Amino acid sequence: MRLILIGFGNLGRGLARALIEKGNFIREKYSLAPSVVAVADEHGAAIDVRGLSLEKLLEVSEKKGSVAYYPSFGSEGKSSLEVIEEVDADVVFELTPTNIVSGEPGLSHIKKAITSGKHVVTSNKGPLVVAFRELDNMAKKRGVQFRYSASVGGSVPVIGLAQRLLAGNTIYSIRGVLNGTTNYILTRMEKEAAPFDVVLREAQEMGIAEKDPTLDVDGIDTACKTVILANAILGVDKKLSDVSPVGIRQIRPEAIRLAREAGYTIKLIGVAKRDSLEVGPRLVPIGHPLAVWGTLNAVTFEMDLAREITITGFGAGPRETSSALLSDLIDIHRSVGE
Amino acid sequence: MLVRVEMELEDVPGQLVKALDPISRFGGNIQNVVHERDKKTPLGRVPVTVVFDVDERARFDKIMSALREMGVRVTRVGEMGAGLKSTVLMVGHIIHTDIRDTIDRLNSLEGVRVLDLSLAMGAVGEESTARMVIVTEDEDRARAALSLLTEIASQKKLLLIKSLEETR
Repeated sequence: MRLILIGFGNLGRGLARALIEKGNFIREKYSLAPSVVAVADEHGAAIDVRGLSLEKLLEVSEKKGSVAYYPSFGSEGKSSLEVIEEVDADVVFELTPTNIVSGEPGLSHIKKAITSGKHVVTSNKGPLVVAFRELDNMAKKRGVQFRYSASVGGSVPVIGLAQRLLAGNTIYSIRGVLNGTTNYILTRMEKEAAPFDVVLREAQEMGIAEKDPTLDVDGIDTACKTVILANAILGVDKKLSDVSPVGIRQIRPEAIRLAREAGYTIKLIGVAKRDSLEVGPRLVPIGHPLAVWGTLNAVTFEMDLAREITITGFGAGPRETSSALLSDLIDIHRSVGE
Repeated sequence: MLVRVEMELEDVPGQLVKALDPISRFGGNIQNVVHERDKKTPLGRVPVTVVFDVDERARFDKIMSALREMGVRVTRVGEMGAGLKSTVLMVGHIIHTDIRDTIDRLNSLEGVRVLDLSLAMGAVGEESTARMVIVTEDEDRARAALSLLTEIASQKKLLLIKSLEETR
């Protein structure tokens, strides 16, 4: 299968490393031989229809700052949209940074990939919270696969579990701890009885929280994921503007102590139901499967036949996320039988 | 279900232990026993009230027939209003926004009662946290209480942290 990678930041490089590490494994196990024929970043692109060297791509982008300096096959200023349109390939990986307001540039990339008949795998929440239904319908109409497992839960196969393995169930609600950063902060606040600001600073120093932590601590990232789960699993047509998230800035150590005394812990929870989306801190009984610690994510499905199922794992990180990206690729390979 | 059984026992040693035996033997979880020796009946029997929790009707029936077979005189049986407990936290200027008014407004709903309130004061001028346990007679009333509390919290600019059970 010929792949195009759009975006070569942490996630793109993580995928490249996973393709190197697991290349033989997926060739032997799934008779799938992925070949990266083009990679584009914000400065340009590298294109070779016979397949680029993943090692060289990593080296060039880390040393020189862009894949455009790839020897012989690099081209500075080549745009992502041109690459998607012009290069003959089977699958486009859309791995650019998330913009939750416009969905761009990911939205245009995905549309271009679909209209040019290529399957799409993305980790980008922006397009999914702005135009999920539109993209899903476009892909169905054009007969291409559209996969976004990596957008929610990182390595935790939340979407695949619900869409495929629980296919016989009517799912009533999805509740989850969907953001590792806030879960880490709440966990540290609980263990150390430390105030929010202090723990946030510690998390920023450790690289767990970003310099501008707004998206995480104000519940916006959790809201994005809740919207994606509602759209992908409950079949609704929701946008980010349908949620009014409440974050964790106002949580104080005393609140956590009072919760603890009554047998609860405080978690930032996203709840998706057909008629409502909620994001905010909730009291979770200690011992409940959603009472997970540190940077863990966890999602509980409530449904008719299987009743309740919870899945837990590591949400963040390029290596963890590459697990979801590779699974989507292998799944497309199986579905289309190429 | 939580049941309350009133009975009369003969005033001879060992009667109370004998009467309690079938309750635990058939899976009842005894919560409270009141043995009122100073309120003997005209026939010289001692009134005893036992409150216990039992999870199935069938077990309850077994307990009752065992008691009757033993000759225990059961005078009254009743299921106690089970009562749903909802725990919530509130963060904000709890005192300055009149916590008493918050409680009164909740208590004014039929079948709703604020059972417990714990307060952790913040430093001067800072926000405080309150934990409240509200008991309601059934789920509809629990929903009504929480929706009123949500309204109050938004009026008083308090952060309301509901429990996960309330998000089903």
